[in-house]
Amino acid sequence: MPVNKPLKRPKLANEGVVGRSTFFVNRALLNIRQNIFVNLVTIGTITLAILIISLFMLVFVNLEGVSNDWSKRVQVTAYFEQELSPPELATLKSLVQAIPGTDRVTYVSKEEAFKRFRERLKGQELLLEGITTDVLPSSVEISLKSASRNSDAISAYVARLKKVPGVTEVQYGEEWVQRYTTFMNFMRMAGLLLGSFLFLAVVFIVSNTIKLTIYSRKEELEILGLVGATRFFIKAPFLIEGILQGAAGAGLALVILTGCYYAFLHNAGNFLSFNPAASGLAFLPPVHIAGLFVSGVLLGFIGSITSLKRFVSV
Amino acid sequence: MIQLHNVFMSYQKEVTALHGINLRVPRGEFIFLTGPSGAGKSTLLRLLYAGLTPTRGQVVIDGQNVTRMTRSQIPYLRRSIGVVFQDFKLLPNRTVLENVAITLEVLGWGKQDINKKVYHILKQMGLEHKINATPLRLSGGEQQRVALARALVNDPKILLADEPTGNLDEENKDLILNIFKDANIRGTTVVVATHDKRLIENSHKRIVSLDKGKIVEGSDAGQ
Ligand SMILES: Nc1ncnc2c1ncn2[C@@H]1O[C@H](COP(=O)(O)OP(=O)(O)O)[C@@H](O)[C@H]1O
Ligand SMILES: [Mg+2]
Repeated sequence: MPVNKPLKRPKLANEGVVGRSTFFVNRALLNIRQNIFVNLVTIGTITLAILIISLFMLVFVNLEGVSNDWSKRVQVTAYFEQELSPPELATLKSLVQAIPGTDRVTYVSKEEAFKRFRERLKGQELLLEGITTDVLPSSVEISLKSASRNSDAISAYVARLKKVPGVTEVQYGEEWVQRYTTFMNFMRMAGLLLGSFLFLAVVFIVSNTIKLTIYSRKEELEILGLVGATRFFIKAPFLIEGILQGAAGAGLALVILTGCYYAFLHNAGNFLSFNPAASGLAFLPPVHIAGLFVSGVLLGFIGSITSLKRFVSV
Repeated sequence: MIQLHNVFMSYQKEVTALHGINLRVPRGEFIFLTGPSGAGKSTLLRLLYAGLTPTRGQVVIDGQNVTRMTRSQIPYLRRSIGVVFQDFKLLPNRTVLENVAITLEVLGWGKQDINKKVYHILKQMGLEHKINATPLRLSGGEQQRVALARALVNDPKILLADEPTGNLDEENKDLILNIFKDANIRGTTVVVATHDKRLIENSHKRIVSLDKGKIVEGSDAGQ
């Protein structure tokens, strides 16, 4: 009986990680070219999705910026029983500085306090007649690190501050801090909630669009399985395609965002009078930009992987 | 070698497409699987390349129990089996070259080797001048030969063909039959499902007849 010649195995150009990756990337690029329309639809969807998310982020980042400015007003003032000598003052400063959450410590002497007081009463200096600088106590003004600028953290901070020897009284805008904290918590919650809904919606839409891309090639997927392709071999080009779509979509969205920002939004701050101190709206920080790009890539990848599940059963 | 032990196959609960099939096909043999439409020929072929899992019974190919294979083992089984589907399953928007190349790409062959090998097999099929055409611009007989080329390009141990002479004229039928015989001479086990009586009569090969899911003739080798 005749027998198959042992299969002469030619050297496999597509072997090894590099060869394989090149093959899969080429295949993905070929697929994109051969299905250019569906690919453009997918890229367009991702672009819109990332654009919506990034605009939302832009608003959020600016609101945070504004509120961060506000929160700089959170200040704790500690008063002393008697005037401190310079060495005593230095010890006290270092003790306060050692409390976690302390940002800056500024000493306000009796003279300085009196000077400020006088400035406040400008035009009514008569009221100060007979009053000496002795009347007002000296103090240290402490600004807090941003993580400690909420009511719980401040209460804890104040409790520790009161234990510092020499400090008799501590004041801070309690009510204001409370309101500010509530507002910030609400903003973060709303942002988180809105952001997650947005992201879910976007994942849903993108994965459905990618399903279209894959559906249009289900014959090919079937044939690949029938001629003995492994699941990895079938999926890899599609996953790369998804990643490329995600990268293209996110890239495009970021270009559009940057364009819009410099064309319209960049000096809209005055108009919105959000933040009179800053000149115009801030752009997204680099970390956010990178995050958006990665999200786009992930979107394409997750969209592909979930859609493939339905078609690659081999 | 192909072995089926007491194989039952039901698509839905009521319809039993195969009913207790026992079959042995020794390595290197050429058999025709015949019977009326609906007898279960296509179903039997699907079991052989693990396109279906039998409801009951065992399918063994080259000592490997196909019924017990994991999903990740199936691709390696399929690489040793060339299948010519009844509807060809060619990709309409790819060239003949690309359609045939799929079999070798899956194995990780390089482009140049693939091109050489595909050209070679297409030449055997008398199709080398159509290498850059798309299947839609080919005749039925030419499409059939492209499907055959894709199945044979990797010198499979087993060739399965479902109604390969469906709508072909006599000339094309002879051409196809000769390609099967050539492959068989080179050592490939060939199983052809067909209800084409004339094709069978002239071939002097073993015939296995199915009817209503049962083998009615030619169950064992050497009968
Ligand atoms: N995909 C399917 N779903 C349900 N029933 C099927 C399917 N394919 C085939 N059958 C049934 O199984 C039986 C055998 O079909 P098949 O194997 O195609 O026969 P043949 O190829 O000999 O004409 C028939 O009764 C047919 O109706
Ligand atoms: Mg059939």
